[in-house]
Amino acid sequence: MVSLARTIRSIRRVGLKEWWHQMQYIGDAKSGLFMGKDQFGNRYFENLNAEEEIPGRHRWVDFAQHDFNATQVPPEWHAWLSHIRKDPPPEDRIMQNLSPPWKAPHYENLTGTRGAYKSYNTTKPKYEAWEPKVAQRGA
Amino acid sequence: MTLLRALVAAGPSARVVATRVATPRTSALLARRLISTTPCRHAVDPNLKRTEPGDYLPDPVAPRSPGIKTAMLSAADEPGKDFDPYKDGPSAIDKAVHLFFFTEIIRGMWIVLEQVFRPPYTIMYPFEKGPLSPRFRGEHALRRYPSGEERCIACKLCEAICPAQAITIESEARLDGSRRTTRYDIDMTKCIYCGFCQEACPVDAIVETQNQEFSTETREELMYNKEKLLANGDAAEAEIAANLQADHVYR
Repeated sequence: MVSLARTIRSIRRVGLKEWWHQMQYIGDAKSGLFMGKDQFGNRYFENLNAEEEIPGRHRWVDFAQHDFNATQVPPEWHAWLSHIRKDPPPEDRIMQNLSPPWKAPHYENLTGTRGAYKSYNTTKPKYEAWEPKVAQRGA
Repeated sequence: MTLLRALVAAGPSARVVATRVATPRTSALLARRLISTTPCRHAVDPNLKRTEPGDYLPDPVAPRSPGIKTAMLSAADEPGKDFDPYKDGPSAIDKAVHLFFFTEIIRGMWIVLEQVFRPPYTIMYPFEKGPLSPRFRGEHALRRYPSGEERCIACKLCEAICPAQAITIESEARLDGSRRTTRYDIDMTKCIYCGFCQEACPVDAIVETQNQEFSTETREELMYNKEKLLANGDAAEAEIAANLQADHVYR
């Protein structure tokens, strides 16, 4: 349950369809500035007006997947969403300059699926089973 | 020999005699010293006039006499008898009205009702998140140099400093002669996220990223090996480097 005036204001800004979508996922009518979209299609918004959004709730993400998960946010946007970085990644020059060319793709937390990480040994085994080598008998 | 034996045999008795003789003398000596010869250093001579203020404490005020009445109080002298605490307060009828019409309960419920129409303070977690520090210590990652070369040189300082002994390292010389780890395992179930490993690391190889959402369904998935840690670092390198850049002025 939210403020009625806030709900009506948000509906007038984002439209009924978007409001219905928000109510199905965030559970709250929110409106703000569209800050960008990541490679997975998640959309990020910001509303710095303290009258409309309580500080702490002023940045939010609208997940692209129905089965949403906090780890679907890539690390660059995670830094922005967690209020670590001030600017969103498309405008953050420092983060862009520090992105290496060998950057690996981001995966969400795949636990419970077939893609889950499974630990394994990275070293050569300390001992190996004896494999008998039979010398060729003289003809 | 006989002289010695005689001395030994006579020893205790001679000592007893000596103490008997000496005791009155020592006690007298002690008494003399305690009473008259030892100067009391903090004693103040009452005849001496103080010229300069020795300390800044005010002079003691002479106690006023409590008077003769305190010793003989009767029921008529009960204090506060002429003071009526209910004089300016609500009357008994007022209080009865508030009691029977539940006004306090209704006022409390009105405050609850006001909160219903206000925007909630709850942070809707997966969509909105609370603030994190650039120094936040979450999931571990192994970093690489901008050239793509892995940073870890297998100095094992992190393994040595780890209070939970969660890190296991084995190293070997690579084909080009540089020492690298062949095993870099972190048992994330042992780790206490103290951050000592990233403090100990001389090449900033092991870091704790800002990712805290790495919960797993099985315990086995938390036994991280080197490949997993390097993959973490490769995916999150931009965030890690930006956090280190933001924090470098304080280090």
